[in-house]
Amino acid sequence: MIYSWKKIVKHGIPLLTLTIFIEIFAGQLLLIKQDGLVWFPIFLISIPVINSVSGNIGSVLGARLASGLHVGYISISIKDKRMHDNLIISILMGVVTYAILAIVIYCIVVFGNLRVGIGLFEFITILLSAGFLLICVVSLASVLTAFLSFKRGLDPDDMVAPVVTTIGDVMGIVFLFSIISVFGVGI
Amino acid sequence: MYAKEMVKQSLPLIIFCGLGAIVAGSTLGVMTDLLKEIPGLIVIIPAIIALRGNISTAFGSRLGSAYHLGVIDADNLWNEELKQNIIGSLMLSFLVSIIIGILAYVSSILMKVYPNPVKLISIVLIAGIISGIILTLLTISIIYLVFKRGYDPDNITGPALATFGDIITMLCIFGSAVFVEVFL
Repeated sequence: MIYSWKKIVKHGIPLLTLTIFIEIFAGQLLLIKQDGLVWFPIFLISIPVINSVSGNIGSVLGARLASGLHVGYISISIKDKRMHDNLIISILMGVVTYAILAIVIYCIVVFGNLRVGIGLFEFITILLSAGFLLICVVSLASVLTAFLSFKRGLDPDDMVAPVVTTIGDVMGIVFLFSIISVFGVGI
Repeated sequence: MYAKEMVKQSLPLIIFCGLGAIVAGSTLGVMTDLLKEIPGLIVIIPAIIALRGNISTAFGSRLGSAYHLGVIDADNLWNEELKQNIIGSLMLSFLVSIIIGILAYVSSILMKVYPNPVKLISIVLIAGIISGIILTLLTISIIYLVFKRGYDPDNITGPALATFGDIITMLCIFGSAVFVEVFL
């Protein structure tokens, strides 16, 4: 037998506990802004979306870099051309995805009879700005995690996804709240 | 060409997962009254979603490796290897849910918000375990279908679990919060 539940628990607990500490911090940020989020449900709906997109793009990028490093067509260098291409395409895909999803969210809030309280153009601008900043940070984190873990003989496939989703969850909330306050929406 | 292939293969899936996240977000959007009534509830949400995502994707990718190692396949699915994986995932859900509840309670007190510890820990435990059971069953069904059709499980389980996982987890948090609010 190759699996035992005790081993699965023993190997899983340390990384999970670390992740949970950081996610609770993200939760406390939400608690501080809870009154504003309840007043603007459009931003409450946006939070899982912002985090999902950045997590998925960061993980796809990480998996592609990992394959490239394993096979050998990507080298550990900040000047690697393939890495640059992957990075730029990831950021572009992020921007396109956020633009499409912002419109869908706005429609759902309007047709779902929830309180809107913000114009379509303003909402798209806020979501796109926060999303763009987040995708840049998450993509860079993905490249760094893939390179560093590969350099140390760890499998980037195991490391990138948990690292980028956790960073994305916290920074997504931080960027969203910062951009909202720049725009002076009362959260 | 390199760029075109990457966009073609991953963009539709990323947008699809984003639409799934909108469903999860909308569940959160209709929970505004519950969030006001149960102080500290909002704190546990990112943690439970992350817990669920990490445990179920790891479960899925272990089953993928087990398939490639020849330990399980469609005809020999329900064996001791699978059972150990199921027990392991559910035990992790149980233990880490308790940690989430305690951390959320303690950190809220530091923020001068005073949640009811019994309520908060019950909500995390019920939501964590029920979503764990549902997602475990879902993973096994997905894996079974993938085996039957001869696809590589590594390409399918990750995104599928990420999309359904968020929605199921949010619904479970919603359900357990209502349950605890009514019965405790």
